[in-house]
Amino acid sequence: MSQIAPAPALSVPAATTRARARRSGMRGKWPVIILFLPPALLLFTLFVILPMGEAAWYSFFNWNGYGLPDQWVGWKNYELIFRQSAFRNALVNNGLIIVASICIQIPLALWLATMVTKHIKGALVFRLIFFLPYVLADVAAGMIWRFVYDGEFGLVANIAEFFGQEPPFWLADKNVAFYAVLGVIVWKYFGFHMMLFIAGLQAIDKSVLEAADIDGATGWQKFMKVTLPLLGSTVRLSVFFAVVGSLQLFDMIMPLTGGGPSNSTQTLVTFLYSFGVMRMQVGFGSAVGVVLFVICVTLAFSYKRIFMRND
Amino acid sequence: MAGLELRNISKSYGAVSVIEGINLEVTDGEFVALVGPSGCGKSTILRMIAGLEDITGGDISIGGEIVNDLTPKERNIAMVFQSYALYPHMNVYRNMAFNLELAGKPKAEIDRRVRAAATMLELEPLLDRKPSQLSGGQRQRVAMGRALVRDPSVFLFDEPLSNLDAKLRVQMRSEIKQLHKKVGVTSVYVTHDQVEAMTLADRVVVLNKGIIQQAGSPMELYRQPANTFVAGFIGSPAMNFFEATIVGGAARTAPGVSFEFRPASRLTEGQPVTVGVRPEHFQRTGQGPGLTGPVSIVEPTGGQTFVTVDLAGQPTVVTVSGDDLVEAETNLTLYTSPQQVYVFDRETGTRLSEN
Repeated sequence: MSQIAPAPALSVPAATTRARARRSGMRGKWPVIILFLPPALLLFTLFVILPMGEAAWYSFFNWNGYGLPDQWVGWKNYELIFRQSAFRNALVNNGLIIVASICIQIPLALWLATMVTKHIKGALVFRLIFFLPYVLADVAAGMIWRFVYDGEFGLVANIAEFFGQEPPFWLADKNVAFYAVLGVIVWKYFGFHMMLFIAGLQAIDKSVLEAADIDGATGWQKFMKVTLPLLGSTVRLSVFFAVVGSLQLFDMIMPLTGGGPSNSTQTLVTFLYSFGVMRMQVGFGSAVGVVLFVICVTLAFSYKRIFMRND
Repeated sequence: MAGLELRNISKSYGAVSVIEGINLEVTDGEFVALVGPSGCGKSTILRMIAGLEDITGGDISIGGEIVNDLTPKERNIAMVFQSYALYPHMNVYRNMAFNLELAGKPKAEIDRRVRAAATMLELEPLLDRKPSQLSGGQRQRVAMGRALVRDPSVFLFDEPLSNLDAKLRVQMRSEIKQLHKKVGVTSVYVTHDQVEAMTLADRVVVLNKGIIQQAGSPMELYRQPANTFVAGFIGSPAMNFFEATIVGGAARTAPGVSFEFRPASRLTEGQPVTVGVRPEHFQRTGQGPGLTGPVSIVEPTGGQTFVTVDLAGQPTVVTVSGDDLVEAETNLTLYTSPQQVYVFDRETGTRLSEN
C-alpha cells in the first residue's frame, strides 16, 4: 500500500506539467496559425471545397446550366449514370488503361531505364528521345497519332500498303480503336515512368550491386533479387501515378477519337465531357463528376494505405 | 586459401594512366595492406583483383591460376566494402546466406555456415534484423560475416573502417586482426590510414600516383623509408623535412644548424638534400650544441604532447612526454642522434642515409 500511495500525488503534478507544456506549446503556435492558415483556408475553400459542394448540389437537379437549378430530381442522375452502357465502357476502359500501364508501360519503362542508366555511349540521347513524348502536350500527341492512324494518308496506312495490305482504319473500328488508343497512352507516358525509374536506379548504392556480382548473382538474379526490391518504392509510386493518370485521361482521347466509335474509347472524364458538358446536362455531368471524385479518392487513399504505407 | 600475385598490372582510362606496372606477391595467408593518399590507385588495384574493374595490362593470379578474364564470382574472393554494401531489403541472415543461396547450396549447409560465422562475429542476436536497424559497427561485422561464409581464397577489404567513429575503429581493427588470425585467409586491405595499415598488416605496400613506393613490414617502412614520400606518409605526426646542403659530411640547413647522419652512399660536398627527422626522434637532452628555437604551439594529447618549435626558420613538430612541461613562447633546445636523421636526395627523394 505504501508503494501505491504516492502514485496519485506524483501523477497530478506530471499531468499538470504536461497540460502546461501543451498550453505553452499552443500559445507559441497561435500566431503562426492566425497568420498563415486564413489565406490557405480561404483559397482552398473558394477553389476546392465550394466547387465540389456545388457540383454535389447540382447533381441532384435536372439543369442545363442556364438560370437557377430548380428541378430537383434526387438520385435520378446517379441512377442514369449506372444505366448508361457508355459509362460502363468508360469504367472498363479506365481499368484496362491501368492494367496496360502496370503490365506493359511500367515494365517497358523499367527495362529502358536499366538500359539508359548504363554507362554506354548515346545513353543520354536515348533518355531524351524516350522522354520527348511526355513533354509533348496531350492534345498535340492526340492530333499527331490521329494522323498516324489515318487509314487514307497516315503512316500506318502507308506501312500497310508497303506490305501490300489493305490500309486499316483502326480509330474507326470499335473493336480496335481502344487498343490503338492504349498504344498511344503507353507511348506518351512511358518516358515519365522511365524518368522515375532512372532516379530510383541512380539512388541505388553501386557497391550493393557489386556485392551481388561478387556473391555470384547473374544479371537476371541481380535485377530480380536486388535491383527490383530496392526499387520497390519507385515502382509503387509509378503505379500510383498510372492509376491517378488513367482516371484523369481526357486531352489526348478527345482529338484522337472523341470517345468513339460507339463510345468504345470513352474514359470517365471524356464520358463526363461528352454526356454532361456537350449535351448541356450540367446536373448529370455533376453527378458523373461526383462519382469520378469518389472513385479517385477511394482508389488513391486505399492504394496509399495498402501499398505505400512504408514509403 | 591461396596466394595472390599481381604481375606488371596497369590500368588506364583512355590516355590517363592510373596504375603503372604494379608487381606484388601476397603469400598464402598473408595480410597485406595497400596504403596511400586519396587517388593513389589503391582501391582500383583492389577492384581489379576482385574483377570489378578490367585490367589494361598484366596478369592477376589467385592460387596460381590467372584470373584476368574470370568474373568476380569465379575468382572465389570475398570483399568488404567501405559502405558495407549490405542488401537493405534483406535481414542479416539473408545477407550472409545470399551467396550460398545463389550457389544452390542445401538449406542445412547454408544454415550451418551462416550460424557458424554469426557465432564467430557475435551476430546471433541480430540475425533477424535489417541493416537499417544496426549500428555502424554491427553492419561492419555483418559485412565481414557475409565474406566469411563464402570460405574465400582471398579476402579483400576496401577501407572498411573509414565510416566508423574513432573508438569503434580501434575496436573493429583488433577484431579484424583476430579474425585473420583465426581463419588465416590471404587478405588485401586498402586504407588511407597508415596507423590502420601498420597495426593490421604483415606487410604494408605504400602507393603514390599508381606506383608502389615501397613494400615491407610496418617497422621496415618506419625505420628504413625508401624515399621522402614513404617517410612522410608513415608515422604520426609526420616526419619533419628540412632543405639542406652537404657541408663537411653533415647536412646543413642554415648557418650554424646542421644534422649529423650516417651516409649510405657517396655524397658530394654541396649536394642539395632533404633532411627528415621524426617528431619522436628529437630529444631534449643530448651531446653537442643542439638546435634551439621558440615554441609556437603546444598540443597535449595525454601521454604525449606535440610541440611545434621554430627550427631553422621552419615550424617543426616534436613529440615530448605528456609529463614534460613545455610552454609556448619559451625556447626549446633539441638533440638528434645520427642514426635517426634521414637524408634524402632532394631531386629524386631517395634515401641516402644509413638508418
